Amino acid sequence: MDLGKIFSVSLIYATFRSATPIIYAALCAAITQQADILNIGTEGIMLTGAFAAVAVSYLTGSWLLGVVVAMIAGLIMAMIMAVGHIRYKAEICAIGMGINLFALAITKFLLNSALGKSGTFSEPGIIAIPRVSLPFLAKVPFLKEIFDNWCITEWFVIVLIILVWFVFYKTVWGLRLRAVGQFPMAAQTAGINVNSMKYRAIAISGLIGGLAGAHLSLGYSKMFTENMTNARGFMGVAAMYFGGAHPILTAAGCLVFGLTDSIGARLQAYGVPSQLVLLMPYVVTIATLAVSMASKMAREKKKKSALAKA
Amino acid sequence: MNVAVKSIQKILLTMLLALAIGALFILFIGENPLEAYGALLRGAFNGKLKIGTTLASFTPLLLTSCAFAVAAKAGAFNVGVEGEVFLGGITAAYIGINWTFLPAPVLMIVCFLGAMTVAALWALIPAVLKAYYRVSEVCVTILMNSVALYITSYLVSGPMSAGVANAQSLPVTVNLPQFMKPSSVNAGLFIALITVVFMIWVLNKTTFGYKVKTVGTNPSHAEYVGISPKKIFIQSMMLSGALGGMAGCIEVLGVHGYFLNNFAAGLGSNGMLASLIVKNNLIFAPFMSFFLAVLKSGAMGMQQSTGVPKSIVDTITAVFIIVATMELLFQFKDKKNKKEKSK
Amino acid sequence: MSEYVIEMKDIVKSFGNVHAVRNGQFTLKKGEIHSLIGENGAGKSTMMKLLYGMYPIDDGSIRIHGDHIPSISPKIAIEKGIGMVHQEFMLVNELTVLENIILGFEPRHGITIDFDKARKTVEQYINQYGMDIQLGKKINQISVGEAQRVEIIKTLTRGANVIILDEPTAVLTPQETKQLFVILQNLRKDGKSLVFISHKLNEVMEISDRISVMRQGNYIGSVSKEETSPAELAKMMIGREVFLNIEKTQTKPGEKVLEVKDVWVSGEKEISKIRGVSLDVRAGEIVGIAGIDGNGQSELIEAIAGLRQVEKGSVLLDGKELGGLSPKQIRKAGLSHIPEDRNTRGLNRSMSIKENLIAVQVGEAPFCKGVVRDDKETLEYAKQLSEVFDIRPRDPEISTQSLSGGNAQKVVVAREVSIGGKLLVASQPTRGVDIGAIESIRKILQEVKAKGMGVLLVSADLEEILSLSDRIVVMHEGRITGRLKAEDANEDNLGLLMMGGTASAEERGSTT
Repeated sequence: MDLGKIFSVSLIYATFRSATPIIYAALCAAITQQADILNIGTEGIMLTGAFAAVAVSYLTGSWLLGVVVAMIAGLIMAMIMAVGHIRYKAEICAIGMGINLFALAITKFLLNSALGKSGTFSEPGIIAIPRVSLPFLAKVPFLKEIFDNWCITEWFVIVLIILVWFVFYKTVWGLRLRAVGQFPMAAQTAGINVNSMKYRAIAISGLIGGLAGAHLSLGYSKMFTENMTNARGFMGVAAMYFGGAHPILTAAGCLVFGLTDSIGARLQAYGVPSQLVLLMPYVVTIATLAVSMASKMAREKKKKSALAKA
Repeated sequence: MNVAVKSIQKILLTMLLALAIGALFILFIGENPLEAYGALLRGAFNGKLKIGTTLASFTPLLLTSCAFAVAAKAGAFNVGVEGEVFLGGITAAYIGINWTFLPAPVLMIVCFLGAMTVAALWALIPAVLKAYYRVSEVCVTILMNSVALYITSYLVSGPMSAGVANAQSLPVTVNLPQFMKPSSVNAGLFIALITVVFMIWVLNKTTFGYKVKTVGTNPSHAEYVGISPKKIFIQSMMLSGALGGMAGCIEVLGVHGYFLNNFAAGLGSNGMLASLIVKNNLIFAPFMSFFLAVLKSGAMGMQQSTGVPKSIVDTITAVFIIVATMELLFQFKDKKNKKEKSK
Repeated sequence: MSEYVIEMKDIVKSFGNVHAVRNGQFTLKKGEIHSLIGENGAGKSTMMKLLYGMYPIDDGSIRIHGDHIPSISPKIAIEKGIGMVHQEFMLVNELTVLENIILGFEPRHGITIDFDKARKTVEQYINQYGMDIQLGKKINQISVGEAQRVEIIKTLTRGANVIILDEPTAVLTPQETKQLFVILQNLRKDGKSLVFISHKLNEVMEISDRISVMRQGNYIGSVSKEETSPAELAKMMIGREVFLNIEKTQTKPGEKVLEVKDVWVSGEKEISKIRGVSLDVRAGEIVGIAGIDGNGQSELIEAIAGLRQVEKGSVLLDGKELGGLSPKQIRKAGLSHIPEDRNTRGLNRSMSIKENLIAVQVGEAPFCKGVVRDDKETLEYAKQLSEVFDIRPRDPEISTQSLSGGNAQKVVVAREVSIGGKLLVASQPTRGVDIGAIESIRKILQEVKAKGMGVLLVSADLEEILSLSDRIVVMHEGRITGRLKAEDANEDNLGLLMMGGTASAEERGSTT
């Protein structure tokens, strides 16, 4: 086995490439988490977005329209969850799983009935999100390998991470959102409409989740398959836990999964059975989750300890 | 009004709403919903084979819905039943193929015990992570489902492969007797029914059941009165896992006769749906499982005799669960009554 | 223009089956301090929360400055100049003091927050009232007294001219209370109108201009301070004359049943960490722990009961070391425990009275046969306890969900007292229960002591500590600051010790 081939410069982009859909998903989960809502439905929102993006891109020939409709589709799914949870007091995990199953079923149904396919939809008519070639980088060998030919939504995710961070910690809205999440009564007595804040958080989460799906089907790949998110939404949720809903730490967590995924893909070339490669990101996600929670508990314990110096 | 009557009423209303929304989808693709539902019912009940098939898909759902409910009683949201079915199945297959030195009845029992043990140990992982490190069991079990699927898929396409085109294992040497042939309904149905009745008894009549309910409703109180929430949580998760493993074992020994790759897809999530819709009520869960089994087994017939794809059934069940989780839906009358009373 | 700033008429409010306010009346004049008094559960807090728009009213009308306001939200209340300092502080722990103060009314630079402007505005109010507040600290780093001042500043920066204070002194020492009263009087001088909710009659008599009394959700009457007396107020509050001071039974203390030796325990907050506490309780005596809430009492009790890990030191129950034992084993060693929070600890509200009464004996004879529970035995036992402890309603099969505070607490007391251990730990045993239940619970504690159990009593109510205890220890910031015999203790010397001793009390006194 040639380790040099596995850990080459191209691994950097490969890692980022596999991580991007998960970063979008994680940001989708982080926004609601700041309002103390666990967005288990991320997976379903994302899957719906992925389907809508491909279908619209194929039918209209416009990737941009595909992305916009995907975000609207994500918004609709998120709002079903929001109304169920806030207005009708549905337990968030239960309705989140409901949304996931609904997304799985409805995309399958529409794939069968509207597009007349089953399993996979991969037509030349699908217009993917364009990639950007930066001519000045073409001359620099090292940077070229890392930064050349990125998809627009791959550049955009970096903007989005910073944007979300800015909104959380620098704006009025972010302060209110965090107050709602940490102590809703305090927010309420400050004249903030807690439910309306939660609705807005879930709505924005839906838009980002839809975008996550659009990137997956039109940027990361150029097709739609049944259950194509394949637990990426849940990995996003796990990364969100890992980063404590802080956008930058959360994104960093996603890179770990991306790295495992790309190393695995390379190992496959050396005869490691594909199933064992495919399960690696899941195992790493669980391990990361466990370690981050355990260390968080250890920190808390230390903070509460009477023996530590104040 | 009686609480039970009220909840049955709510479930029926929810069911109607889900079917109505399903009808809208069917209309949307230009088909007649009544015809489609009629075809669905015929597909589930018309003839011995169809009834048998319905009962065969009812069997695992009985156990998986019960498995989800048992964990839920202790406050766990065990999405991992599906993975437990897979691992139970593969264990049963391994034992059933290789331990032929045991006499058949013993081998049968060992298959069940092995399947249940491995599945219970699998459930132990998320249980411990949650109890001791507060790691969300929802996240962990979902991710572990994928891991279980890949592990079993690897085993049946590699070390345990039968060497045929499909990824599947060699046939097992013991089988649960089938009846109503050529459908695949088998003695597992009775094992499942007895198990569910037993679980209802355990949760309602025994000390262990009381402890599970205490932990599930108020862990802080449980700890204070001397019931360890961690211990009980872990025990119910393992019990839940064992029930999932049993479902996997029945599928392998009773339905297929070998381990077929990805055979359990949807068994866990449909069981979870059945349980969630009835708010984890162990007595209602079997009825809901039966309803879902009817939908599932009738779907193929519907697809064949009308132009409605069978995926509409999954859509209807998903709508069903979304509507069912909304606690306050269908309570308009109550609210009105209360207001009048207070005045 | 009406003579009243606030007029609340014929207010009705219920939560589910609980009628919190049946007939609420309240008026507030400009520039007065108006006390609203009543027992726990009389509806006084609910009245003020309705005024602040926390919940909608079922019936009645509210006028602010003479205008009828059909539906109020906190936002509207704030716009109308109403501010409220809640009993439980409405402060977000993870945010800074400044962020908490401006929350909901943030000065902006476009979409971002203008912290400089915010700081200037807030500091202006801080200086005006000479308060000691550090704006940069996070809420979990400041003291209770400071948090309360933050709450007052919060209402002022939002432009409140009516300030409601919901039991503000419950978390303060007598000395801190005096400082608060100085602030309140200054606010009145500046023309603010204040509502002071309390059930402490001496404080009410000291600070108020007018006093309104509520009982069981009903408005009883209003009096001006000059025309009334504590005795009359008490009668209005309770509806009859009550003498809570029970004759203390004298018993000769026996062997040590509890020994706490140099114990260190982790705490939720810095000041509630237990740092080297030692105390003992003998059979047949009541030892009272006095202290302001949150100074480590809860942590100490949890440590004794095995619900929180002892980091250093040892606890002996009847001579047996408790270190490393589970809560169950500690109960077996002879612990009975009335916890401070009956809703999350003491009871399982989703279960019946019957099931709650045997909660600590589940799986033990005679309440089970093998692994199966014995419902008949359980019911028999529950019926018996309901009778003895006068739990109403008498039907043990009903859920504890609907029980009143007093009856719910009686279920806990009945269970813990009936198992008959060596030591009874009673934490806030009469908090939030009606006067009848207070009387009977205090009587039960006396009987338990007379039977030879040791009792460790924790209460934030000094009167309760003084009337029941044989010995008193005072806790402050996780340490014991004083040990007194009951006959040497009074509200003044306990109050000083609760603040951390005489010396520090004088220091604080000189800064104001």
